[in-house]
Amino acid sequence: MFTFFCTSFCCPGISCCAIFRKNDDIHLHMCPFGNFSCVRLELQRDGFCQNPFFECLVAEIPEELKSKEGFTVVGYALYFYTYSTWKGRSLYLEDLYVMPEFRGNGIGKGLLCKVAEVFKQCVRLQLSVLNWNTPSRDFYAAKGGQDLTVSEGWHFVRFDGQNLDNLANDAPKI
Amino acid sequence: MANVILRTAEPKDVPDILRLIKELAKFEEMEEKVMLTEKDLLEDGFGDHPFYHCLVSEVPKEQSSEGYSVIGFAMYYFTYDPWIGKLLYLEDFYVMQEFRGLGIGSQILKALSETAVKTRCSGMHFIVAENNKESIEFYKRRGAADLSSREGWRLFEIGKEGLHICKRKD
Repeated sequence: MFTFFCTSFCCPGISCCAIFRKNDDIHLHMCPFGNFSCVRLELQRDGFCQNPFFECLVAEIPEELKSKEGFTVVGYALYFYTYSTWKGRSLYLEDLYVMPEFRGNGIGKGLLCKVAEVFKQCVRLQLSVLNWNTPSRDFYAAKGGQDLTVSEGWHFVRFDGQNLDNLANDAPKI
Repeated sequence: MANVILRTAEPKDVPDILRLIKELAKFEEMEEKVMLTEKDLLEDGFGDHPFYHCLVSEVPKEQSSEGYSVIGFAMYYFTYDPWIGKLLYLEDFYVMQEFRGLGIGSQILKALSETAVKTRCSGMHFIVAENNKESIEFYKRRGAADLSSREGWRLFEIGKEGLHICKRKD
């Protein structure tokens, strides 16, 4: 087993490149549902402004263990704060990813544990997983994750595109 | 009903917001699960870095049988999808029973949609219980997509006790 450390973004440019590259991997992996229009500049702007919309941890390995393409940032966890009207401050884990060649070494668990340290002030940690992604479902279930779609019937619903615009165009003046 | 005002919540609305949160929880038969206090709501919604934003619907006091003027609310915050950017997430949305069927819910949804568009969000999303047929129909009539049914997304939650594995040494 090799060691790694998680650090929050200290080099936004480099780390954003890493996230961008990882997202490209994820996009290719999940192609049927991808709608990949967020580019590096947006990630940089939205993650490093005065009130960032997300926070991110990266897993970095020593230079001598770098990937075959030469990367030392080999995984990341992207999360943001949400709010429960019952209990208050909460955390949502949006993305957790480790490059395939570095899996099975505890990096994913390490990233999740680092997020758990942030979670101390929060009352719940939520995330979403696709039906067919059995390895991820098993990974989170092994760490105490409950599938609320199955147990309580919660469904994700979204308004976007023209439907969102139609609603917005009819909004009352506030 | 001519006199419904929809506006951004202010600190003075916190007692009414908590009252409506408890009313909604009671409707879901979960009232005892509401742990938030007025102090929490004030600190978390109206401090330097708010964790949530809120709209409230207001009517003249004399129009409400129980004397309340704030008769509905919607709580939302901004989330992030690294593929498409910022999103507006609708956490809770409630109108008191006696004021339903008057278009107040629709007005709230439209106002939130406008906020989403103005703040360059790629979409507005939320969760609905699959047995809440009335809400599902309300949203579907307005063009909402059920991503759990259509794309297979499942909501997972890990509680504090679940992450105890991180305290074990490997």
